[in-house]
Amino acid sequence: MDSSSRPLSPHLGIYRWQVQMVTSILHRVTGIALAVGSLLLLAGLLSLAAGPSAYAAFRALLAFPLVQLLLLGWTWAFAYHLCNGVRHLLQDAGLGFARPVFVRNGWIVVVLSLLLTAAVWIASLVIGGAL
Amino acid sequence: MAEFSLPQNSRVQKGRHHPAPAGAKKVRTFRIYRWSPDDGQNPRLDTFELDVSNCPMVLDALLKIKNEVDATLTLRRSCREGICGSCAVNINGVNTLACITGMDECEDEISIYPLPHMPVVKDLVPDLTHFYAQHASVRPWLRTESAAPDRERLQSPEDRKKLDGLYECILCACCSTACPSYWWNGDRYLGPAILLQAYRWIVDSRDEDTGARLDELEDPFRLYRCHTIMNCTRTCPKGLNPALAIAEIKKLILARRG
Amino acid sequence: MSDLRNPLQRARGLGSAKDGAQHWWRQRVTAAALLVLGIWFVLLVLALLRGSYAAAQTALANPFNATLMVAFVVALFWHMQLGLQVVIEDYVHTRGVELALQILVRLFAALAALLAIIAVLRIALGG
Repeated sequence: MDSSSRPLSPHLGIYRWQVQMVTSILHRVTGIALAVGSLLLLAGLLSLAAGPSAYAAFRALLAFPLVQLLLLGWTWAFAYHLCNGVRHLLQDAGLGFARPVFVRNGWIVVVLSLLLTAAVWIASLVIGGAL
Repeated sequence: MAEFSLPQNSRVQKGRHHPAPAGAKKVRTFRIYRWSPDDGQNPRLDTFELDVSNCPMVLDALLKIKNEVDATLTLRRSCREGICGSCAVNINGVNTLACITGMDECEDEISIYPLPHMPVVKDLVPDLTHFYAQHASVRPWLRTESAAPDRERLQSPEDRKKLDGLYECILCACCSTACPSYWWNGDRYLGPAILLQAYRWIVDSRDEDTGARLDELEDPFRLYRCHTIMNCTRTCPKGLNPALAIAEIKKLILARRG
Repeated sequence: MSDLRNPLQRARGLGSAKDGAQHWWRQRVTAAALLVLGIWFVLLVLALLRGSYAAAQTALANPFNATLMVAFVVALFWHMQLGLQVVIEDYVHTRGVELALQILVRLFAALAALLAIIAVLRIALGG
């Protein structure tokens, strides 16, 4: 029988979403989000190089509520990609491969990234005098 | 693009319902993937209500269905003690061996699918031809150039220990078919099972072809599609660690670059 | 079309590229660099967040900050290109589209890094 007429067994739709698969796909998603976010870094540096009025316009852009929300998202993406990246570097060195260890580390990364995001935003509010 | 959804001919339809017989005591519900090459239909999900009083393991339940409810149910099984790897299936979303999965380990309703992202031969039987060919492609046997000694090739107890956690692999394909990278690029990516098997020969102190083995593996797709997602290690029914074996291969390839 | 090739022929495909370690290693090295530089960058942004244009200008004009910023953007856009390359290899299996995307990402990464470096130099050296 020609194997090409065989159905493909279900995969993504039935596989259980365990923490290691979720943290892995999030690493990719946050990486892509940060790649888009690099445009903002570029805009910031260019505006600073262009002069006070351009820089003021850039700052005004950042003040929009929607942009603030995006910034919050990028902060978390950065924190997550950083924490999970450290986990990946340790694994590349051969550490943290025991089943309970990488399951635990996955959760640690998620919690730590949220804490780091909160810390950065609280710091920014304190510096801004809002707190 | 990699196809994240199933092709048209693979979408799973609602199937038949087999209610429990009257007087059944310990009834559990099974949802089982069915597909037959003979009727031109799409795959379907049949529901079986089964008296599992005499079924300690999921494999026992599957065989009871085949023996007493629907003889056309097709599955692979042989040793019923976790050493042959034949009865590897996806149970409630996780790949494992039906014969060593206790009924009491499962949720009330039990869904059983063939190993994910594989061509289906019939029901729970996937086509493993490519998987086995990939295994053959790493030439998984002792390769030597030195003259054969008069007795067996010796190995120190320390070197023998390096094979622990590797030689136990039964090639059931649970890990490879749990790996998203293998789903999207299994035509070129060797997958966790085959890479663990390859590593088993790379670390064998008696093997004399280590460099060639590493050469054959150093490839963006054969080896480096592994993104340490860890589904392989999480799901291995033998408790082995394919992800660690792959990490060790990457370390060795790096080490020889200086 | 039926495929009459032997399964072993299919499994072997075009053979090993004998390459991939360098990409993998560079991704790790740039990651390690970004771990340090990224934390420095967040601290810098926090420090400049509510400050004036002059304060930001003076901070980036400092040779240490200017050097770290150049290092940061180089590591960032390099790491970005390496990462997106893998994503494209994973999911895009139409050769022409894949090739176009890979070239686009490389072009963007190179130009973005250059643009950022020139901006930093202009800030640091005065325009």
